[in-house]
Amino acid sequence: MTARVPAIADGKAKPPRTGSKLGSLLWLQGLSCGALATLATPTAVVAGILLAPGLLSVVMDQAPGKPTARSVMLFGLAATVQPLATLWRTGHHMGTALDIAGDSTVLATAWAAQGGAWLLCELTPLIITLSIEAVSRSRAARLRAARAAYEEQWGLPPEGQQAAEG
Amino acid sequence: MATAMPTHSPGPSSLDDRSVGPLIGGAYAVDTTRVLPGAGGGLPAFVAVDHRGGDDGLMAVQARPAAPARANVLPVLLANPTEGVLGPLAHGLGRGAGGEEAWFVICRAPPGAPLWSVALGNPAATNAQPWSERELLDCVLRPAAHTLERLHLRRVTHRAIRPDNLFRPGPGEPVTLGCAWAAPPASLQPALYEPPYSAMCLPSGRGDGSIADDVYALGVTLLILALGRVPLAGFDEAAIIRRKLELGSFAALAGEERLPPTIADLVRGMLAEDPEHRPPPALLTDPAAARARRVAARPPRRGQRPLQIGLQTAWNARTLAYAMACDPEQAARHLRSGGVDRWIRRNLGDSVLAARLEETLHMRGADGESEDQRADSLMVMRAVAALDPLAPLCWRSLALWPDGIGPALAEVAGAASSPSLGAAPPPPGGPDRAEVLQQIVATEAVSAWAAARPERCDPVLLRLEAHQHRNLLRTRGLAGGLARLRYTLNPLLPCASNLLQGRFVARLADLLPALEAAATVPEFRKQPTIDAEIAAFLAARSEHRIEGELASLADSAQPERAALAQLRLLAGLQLRLSGHRLPALAAWLAEQLKPALAIWRNRERRQRIERELAGLTGSGQLAAMLAVLEDPQAQAADAREFHDAMLAVAAIDAELARIATGGAPRADTARRIGQEAALIIGAMTLAVAAVAAVLS
Repeated sequence: MTARVPAIADGKAKPPRTGSKLGSLLWLQGLSCGALATLATPTAVVAGILLAPGLLSVVMDQAPGKPTARSVMLFGLAATVQPLATLWRTGHHMGTALDIAGDSTVLATAWAAQGGAWLLCELTPLIITLSIEAVSRSRAARLRAARAAYEEQWGLPPEGQQAAEG
Repeated sequence: MATAMPTHSPGPSSLDDRSVGPLIGGAYAVDTTRVLPGAGGGLPAFVAVDHRGGDDGLMAVQARPAAPARANVLPVLLANPTEGVLGPLAHGLGRGAGGEEAWFVICRAPPGAPLWSVALGNPAATNAQPWSERELLDCVLRPAAHTLERLHLRRVTHRAIRPDNLFRPGPGEPVTLGCAWAAPPASLQPALYEPPYSAMCLPSGRGDGSIADDVYALGVTLLILALGRVPLAGFDEAAIIRRKLELGSFAALAGEERLPPTIADLVRGMLAEDPEHRPPPALLTDPAAARARRVAARPPRRGQRPLQIGLQTAWNARTLAYAMACDPEQAARHLRSGGVDRWIRRNLGDSVLAARLEETLHMRGADGESEDQRADSLMVMRAVAALDPLAPLCWRSLALWPDGIGPALAEVAGAASSPSLGAAPPPPGGPDRAEVLQQIVATEAVSAWAAARPERCDPVLLRLEAHQHRNLLRTRGLAGGLARLRYTLNPLLPCASNLLQGRFVARLADLLPALEAAATVPEFRKQPTIDAEIAAFLAARSEHRIEGELASLADSAQPERAALAQLRLLAGLQLRLSGHRLPALAAWLAEQLKPALAIWRNRERRQRIERELAGLTGSGQLAAMLAVLEDPQAQAADAREFHDAMLAVAAIDAELARIATGGAPRADTARRIGQEAALIIGAMTLAVAAVAAVLS
């Protein structure tokens, strides 16, 4: 039996990133972070503290494309935009940054948003799976009823027997 | 010499419903309470009453089941009434003395007593007075010759001329030939009255023969009447045949007896061994001219020493042929060892005959591929034909004429099924006659026999007939075989199926009422309606080609086809022939048709058809039942819907399989959807938060 040829062979999907490209991207991300920490240290402090769960999920999420980390980061960013805007409006000082980052309300909101996002990512597939299964079972029951009607009407063998005969 | 009229007196008709039975030919009833002894030419005869015209003086001759009436002769004589003979007026089904169904031939009753009512061998016969020459010529020869000439013009032979089947109203009156139509030709003739080549045959296998055979029988009758006694009275039939072959018929019968010179000359010519040497009936009407006609027949050469073949001693070619016919195994040994050839060359001194026989042995070499017994039988048959071209076909101790195969088959089958059917029992220790007859047909022995004596027969016609018979025998399934051949060659032979319970079913029209009666017997209801005998009977009697239907009957792998074929055949018969209601048969068929209902796949439709069949059973109309089962549109719809149902079920099965095996993909899909939903919600939240931050 021949192995199915991967879709990549057809040139229809993106080729996986090679090790050197991944390294370059990581290097660029590190450079960007370094530049941000050097040029906008208060922003980096606020973002780093408020987005800590998101950054942690980026490290922890091993799934391709890191879908959970993305959602967590999006929710974290949504909760961080307002504190950052406040930081920039108040002069972008280190003290202000520390005050904002130390504000338990701000911190709890950001972290709760990210925790909620993680919970959403974990629960939504489960709920959808349960829903799909219920629909499938209902469909199978209807199909079996239809088949039983055919069996009675046309004298056909039951499903398992037919398969065995086949 | 003539005895009193048999003890029958037509008298006032005392028929009642019990004794009458069905009317034959729509007019004649058989009164079995009034027997006419000796009037039927060897068969039971009863007074018949004409219900249409009130005609008196009729008789009904009862045919035996295994010895059917002469179907080829009856229509000719019915269409051409012949003077001087008790010709048939009608024939058909009636009830015998025991209440059993039987075939009767209605004739005029004999005008008086038979010339000789005493059975052969009866000592009383030896005291009869010889007839005078004038009486013999005027009362017997001339009228009988006129009658034979009239029959000859109609291409009909009588084959039952003997003193007890010739009748006259009184002394000095011309004789009338008796009834000879209710049994196979010559089957009731003692060997004394038959040429040896007919007498040696199976009684039913003597065939129609020729008018010369009637001349021979008339010659023997004249001789007996002239002598006033029966010659060779103490001899058995084999001895009579042998004596006739050895000495010649006239010498064997007349011997040294003193006969009037005219009678002696006439009888000598009439008893010539070669039928072509016998005077034709037209010549016999003028005894003086017939007496003047002398055909010089060379007497057979007699050997210096005899040749022993088995128990028979041969002195000339005729007795040698007869001995070989009687003991074919010994004959084959003698032929192969060259003993016969040497005897013919050295003792008979007939090198021409020896050369002809040698050709036969060469043909045996050509037959070497075939089975030994068959090849030997062919060799002996050809040798007998070569030695005596007048001899009949002789195959494994059985002799018959080719046109006697049909009645011979009937006789043999009758003897096998019931010895009481009028068939002669086979000799003990002899070969199975049915097997012998089957071999004769299967090997086309008639064709080979005709080729061995082409100057004495029409080989082309016989070869064609033999080929047709073999084809019928070889036809596969219920439409062929020996039974089919038997019914084909005997149009008035009744069907021998056990289902018919002894009913006399010789015509298709009688089959359905007999089956209707059989349907009332519970044990028959478990059997198929058409068994092998009925199938062969149908195939032989049907004017339409029904081989396909009969082939379906034998298809045990598809019982529904067999059941439908039964219904189709019987419904066709009912439509064509009677049209009468057949409720019991319909019910029987409905039971048999249960497998046929399986061809309907739709349960509701099948139940509806079952209900319709049950309803039609009461009406007894088979065609209506067939129409319900053979509705092409409904069948096509059923097949189409079944196909659609199968496709639908296949789709359901595929989907169920997909559902059963799709748990993991569904989980992946659910995860992907959940993640994408979370992303979308997050992006929207971010966008709202960004806008709010900008605007605040």
